[in-house]
Order: sequence, then structure tokens, then C-alpha cells
Amino acid sequence: MELIDRYVHEVGQHLPRRIRADVQAELRSLLLDTLEERARAAGRPADSELVKKVLREFGTPEDVAERYAPQPRYLIGPRLFPAYKMTIGIMALVVAALFLAFFVVGVLRIIHRPADAVNLRAALDVVGKILFTAFFNFGLVTLVFAIVERVQQQREVRGESWDPASLPPVDDPDRITPASHVFSLYAILALAILFNFYPDWVAIVGFGQLLGRWRLPLLRPEFSMHLPLLNVWWGLAFALNLLVLRHGRWRRETRWAEFGLGLFSAVVLLLIITGPPVFRYNRHVKGILLGLLAIVVIEAGERLYHLLTRKPCEPWRAAEAGASGEPAD
Amino acid sequence: MVEMLQRDALRDNLGLEFRRGALVLAVLSQLRGEQYGYSLKKALAEQGLEIDEGTLYPLLRRLEAQGLLRSRWRVEEGRPRRYYRISPLGEQIQRELAADWRALARALDRLLA
Repeated sequence: MELIDRYVHEVGQHLPRRIRADVQAELRSLLLDTLEERARAAGRPADSELVKKVLREFGTPEDVAERYAPQPRYLIGPRLFPAYKMTIGIMALVVAALFLAFFVVGVLRIIHRPADAVNLRAALDVVGKILFTAFFNFGLVTLVFAIVERVQQQREVRGESWDPASLPPVDDPDRITPASHVFSLYAILALAILFNFYPDWVAIVGFGQLLGRWRLPLLRPEFSMHLPLLNVWWGLAFALNLLVLRHGRWRRETRWAEFGLGLFSAVVLLLIITGPPVFRYNRHVKGILLGLLAIVVIEAGERLYHLLTRKPCEPWRAAEAGASGEPAD
Repeated sequence: MVEMLQRDALRDNLGLEFRRGALVLAVLSQLRGEQYGYSLKKALAEQGLEIDEGTLYPLLRRLEAQGLLRSRWRVEEGRPRRYYRISPLGEQIQRELAADWRALARALDRLLA
């Protein structure tokens, strides 16, 4: 009977916690019933051979748990997996390119300056950093896809009563490309983590003949005064991207939110530009930020223009009206 | 040999497909009185409908979650067992499904004749 205990326990390990104890109790009772009946039919006590035979018939613990689980649970489901695989593939290529560049630079240095070329510790340091960055980004991309998977699943559960009236028009200005939103989510998370936890990595990096590999950090410690506002901006942008993905398209309210967020980011940029010096090459960096501000303002103006002049295209309203019993044309 | 195996797998799959829906009706029909998992499996087998454990027991839980069955734990002969019984909603749906089944069987008989 110890084998049955182990089997039931193992099945439980693959089940959601909320149904685990119940399924385990029922499974145990079913196994004992089956075993008892088989022993009676065979005219012998239920020995370990018979237990093994019954367990084999029930199937592997993973199979049994899968049949009992209410619905398949994926970290990244079959619909998102191709996009995920492609993203990871691109990242692997970038890492491979970085390694190649590093290798080429190393070889060139050995050729030009053989005296100090073999600095194993520095080389290992760079390799370590590339690997760390690769794994870090791999984790981040996986996290973003897992979040998107969860959001999509919630959308599918809600969208059971599909109405053909909710089909978007052929020429649809509000259609989204999910991949671009997934990339935005990843970029926002990466930026937030970089500025909050690794401010020294916000730097210009290059290779020179005299200096070898050089790195010019851009942020002064005073930059942290802007972090609270920046975090609010990134948090809002992250939430907006998730919401748009959940809707599956742009809606008027999310377009307004996008416009509002544009204004907010302009204010944040303005505060950084007009505030005390927080960058190492303050004039140059602020010049770049000024250009960025101009782009943000122009974009916000364009969005406002579209919001005010374009007739809203809201096909899902027909589906909602249909679901609430109102006639939908 | 491989072709033979493929043919058998295809045939099994198609057979399973039309059995799947019919099993619900069969299970509902046998639960007018209380039954626990194994006794139900035996009752179905005695009528010529063999269902393997891996299909039947999860199906019972699903039907209960859908409100077609009710269940309660009872201790008998010193062992706790979950007993299932059809719910009023289940009875209603079973009657409708049985009518559908008969209509389908008649239509198929005509088609296959």
C-alpha cells in the first residue's frame, strides 16, 4: 500500500492546490476499490505485483493529474510560443555576435600589442558580463511573455460569447501588433531595472587602441532624485501596454491614456532638463533629451489631433450591447 | 506494418471521438441512484460499455462542476467513498440528450441502410 501512497502523493504534486486534497482522497478510494475487486477476481491477496498492474492501468501520475486538472496551465502557451522562440533566437544571435566581436577585438589586440594582450582575468570578466546580461534578458523576456500569457488567458475566458459584430473593419487604424507591445513591456522592465539597480551601466562603452575597452558612466548619484517620477511613468506605461494587449486593440480610452502618458513623460523630461545637473556630460546628454522631448511633444500633438478628428471605431461595443440584451445592428 | 499501425490509430481516434459525447449520456443514465466511481464503472461494463479509469473519474468531476451531478462522501465498510447522483438539471439535460441521441441514431440508420 506504500506504493499507492507514493502514487497518490505524486499525482497531487502536479495538481493545483485548491483541488489537490479532494482529488487525492478520491483517487485513493478508487485505487483501493479497483485493487480489492481485482484481488477478489484473481482469488489472491492484493500483493505488490497486483498494485503495480493497477497503477500502470491508471497511468503515469502526470497523465492522471492532467486529466483531473480543470484546464491546461502554461507559463507560455502554444499561441505565444513561436513568438517567444523567435525572441529568444534573436537574443541568442545578439549574444553570439557580442562574443564574436569580443573575440575579434581580442585577436586584433594580440596581433598589435602582444606584450599586454593576454590578460585572462579581464577577458573572463567581459565573458562573465556578457553571459550575465544574456541570462538576465532571457529571464526578463520569459517574465514578460508569462505576464502576456496570463493576460491573454483572462481575455479568452471572458470572450466566450463572441459576436461577429465585434469584428474590426478591414481598414482598422486601431489594430495592434502584439509583438510590438510585448517588446515595449520588455523594454520598460529592462529600463526600470537598469536605472534603479544598475545606474553605473547607463554608460557609453567602446573600444580604443590606447585605452582598450572603455566605459563612460553617464549618471551622477544625484540622478536618483528623478527616479520616483520615472518609476511612475514606467509603471503607467507598463500597465497601459498590458491593458491594450488585454483588449486586443486600441480603444478610445486607451488612446486618451496614451496621450496623457505622453504629456506626463514630457513633463518628466522637462523636469530633468531644467533641473540641477545629474549627468556626467550634462550639456550633451541634456541636448539629446531636448531632442527627445521635441519628439514626445510632436507625437502627443499628433495623437490629440487623431483623437479629436477621427470617428471612433469601436466594434466591441456591438458585442457588449448584444451580451446585455440590447439590439445590436 | 507501419501503415497498418497508422490505420489502427486513425480508426481508434475516430471511434473515440464519437464515443466521447455518448459517454456523458451513458454516465448520466446510470446515476439516478447513488453510485461510487468503481461501482459505476462496473455497472456500465455489465451493460457492455467499458470505460477506462482515466476517462471515467475525471468525467464525473467535470459533470459535477457543470452542475449535472451531485456528490457526497460516505464511509462504508470502513472506507470513505465519494458517491455521485444526478442533479435535477442533469435529469433534464439527460432527457433532452437521450431524445437527440435517438433522433441521431434513426438518421444514421437511414443513412447507413
